[in-house]
Amino acid sequence: MADSENRIEVSHVTHEFHGAALRATGGKLVAVNDVSFSLTDSPPQIVNLVGQSGSGKSTLARIILGLQKPTRGSVTFNGKDVYRLGGRDKEEYLRSVQPVFQDPYGIFNPFYKVDRVLWKAIKKFHLAKGRSDGLEVIERSLRAVDLRPEDVLGRYPHQLSGGQRQRVMLARVHMLQPRFIIADEPVSMLDAAVRVLFLNILIDFRDKYGMTTLFITHDLSTSYYVGGDIMVMHKGGIVESGKVDDVLVNPEHPYTRMLLSSVPVPDPDARWKDRAQVVLAEEEEELVVDKPDIEAPNP
Amino acid sequence: MRRFARSLWKLWSSSHKFQIGIVIIAVFVVVAILHGPIVATIGHGQDPLGTAAYTPWQLPSRTNILGTDRYGRDILALTVTGLASSLQVGAVAGLISTVVGVLVAFIAGYKGGKLDSLLSGTADVFLVVPSLPILITLSAYVTNLSLAAIGVILAIFSWALAARTIRSQVLSLRTRPYVELAKVSRMSDLEIIVQELVPNLLPFIGVGFANAVLGSIFALVGLEVIGLGPSNVIDLGLMLNWAIGWGTLSLGMWPMFVAPIFVLGMLFFAVNLINIGLEETYNPRLRKVAGA
Repeated sequence: MADSENRIEVSHVTHEFHGAALRATGGKLVAVNDVSFSLTDSPPQIVNLVGQSGSGKSTLARIILGLQKPTRGSVTFNGKDVYRLGGRDKEEYLRSVQPVFQDPYGIFNPFYKVDRVLWKAIKKFHLAKGRSDGLEVIERSLRAVDLRPEDVLGRYPHQLSGGQRQRVMLARVHMLQPRFIIADEPVSMLDAAVRVLFLNILIDFRDKYGMTTLFITHDLSTSYYVGGDIMVMHKGGIVESGKVDDVLVNPEHPYTRMLLSSVPVPDPDARWKDRAQVVLAEEEEELVVDKPDIEAPNP
Repeated sequence: MRRFARSLWKLWSSSHKFQIGIVIIAVFVVVAILHGPIVATIGHGQDPLGTAAYTPWQLPSRTNILGTDRYGRDILALTVTGLASSLQVGAVAGLISTVVGVLVAFIAGYKGGKLDSLLSGTADVFLVVPSLPILITLSAYVTNLSLAAIGVILAIFSWALAARTIRSQVLSLRTRPYVELAKVSRMSDLEIIVQELVPNLLPFIGVGFANAVLGSIFALVGLEVIGLGPSNVIDLGLMLNWAIGWGTLSLGMWPMFVAPIFVLGMLFFAVNLINIGLEETYNPRLRKVAGA
């Protein structure tokens, strides 16, 4: 689809949080520690970023979206630093990189109807001229994510289900047609059926429109489902990366193994007891290491 | 806009306390605005506030519904005039302190960082400054203060509280996902503040305004009672000052102090009813409904 390659380059990004609450650990928390990777839209792909809560996944997503300037390191889009973009370039960057956030409840301002989020995108990115044109764009995008416009338009956020709201966000992405989607745990608050629907739409977007997704999750089964590349994040750093099939079948890093063994197996014959003990033993070991989680990890 | 009207209507119909409070305030405001014609009607063509307009020290009768004071002035007319000037001071002070407070709160809360430290620090200083001694000194020093000037002075000491409370709300709202979505939708900071944050804070701002108005009215009453107000303006505090100075309690001339105290008490009552009503509406746990 894209006539030329677009590329997001994350190089040596480190982000530290400072604050009085962190005084016990030296006043800072290293959320992201010297992370480098790149995303490209040719060929379009889904890149999984997995890790437990607090491993720095969301901070990394916010940094890529231009919402949080990293302490050190840089994020470049087609060679230009994301945090030094002028008006035109900034518009192009936001046009090319759009998010889907985790919380389908907080993403809508309760004061307005859900239509507003879509209309705002149309106005701010000049997607259509006039009302009827805009409505057409909105309805087409809603249908593309399996929503009936009459079910959604004219409603307030609290009148929609979590799955519907999250798909309205996907409709917004569909309207904007960005090259990259930064999806920060988009399915963690959805039930299993809606989750698969949502993931299928993401895969669909990749195949039909050539969008590359950075799919952030803590649920290994979802990354197994979408496939592609995977990066395992632990305490702010990327400890292992590769193809999903390789990493999840033959994990090399002990943390990846720990994550994998924490997934419950839907098999009644599985020796749950043994497995539980293994998990427990490994988790206990992890816990000892985990305790100074707030500290700067020693490389 | 229709949504706004509807939410106002929902607010109105949500709580009887809120309704009663609003009605009381509305009556007072109408009386204050129409104080000229009302006073004229009481006087039947002559000025009921002129010295020796009637016989002094009358108890309530058909000609003077609330009796007269030491100089033969009609007490009902005094009360209506006093209410008008008290509300005027309250409105000026409340408006200024709310506008300043909201501006400071949004700039500090939204921008954060050093600017936040500077603005919050300033607000803290104004919060701990003992306002009454300063006001006493100021009004003893400056003579011939107009009502508006008094309002401005009172506002200087009341914007900080509004700023602090609204800032904390802004701090919690600005990290909501919908604000981040607005940022990646190319909305400017001003658009985000006006369109995304302010609508959700309207009840807070409303309560802050009501409290600032009430606080200023009572601050002025406090000054007047100890004889340090703008002396050429009749307001409710000045009436209380006269009532104390003339020994109306021992004379048995009860309308002189009952009238202003009743009006002030009703104002306080009404604003508190509105606050309670708003809180019940926005904090469902307070609603006395089973299962809510």
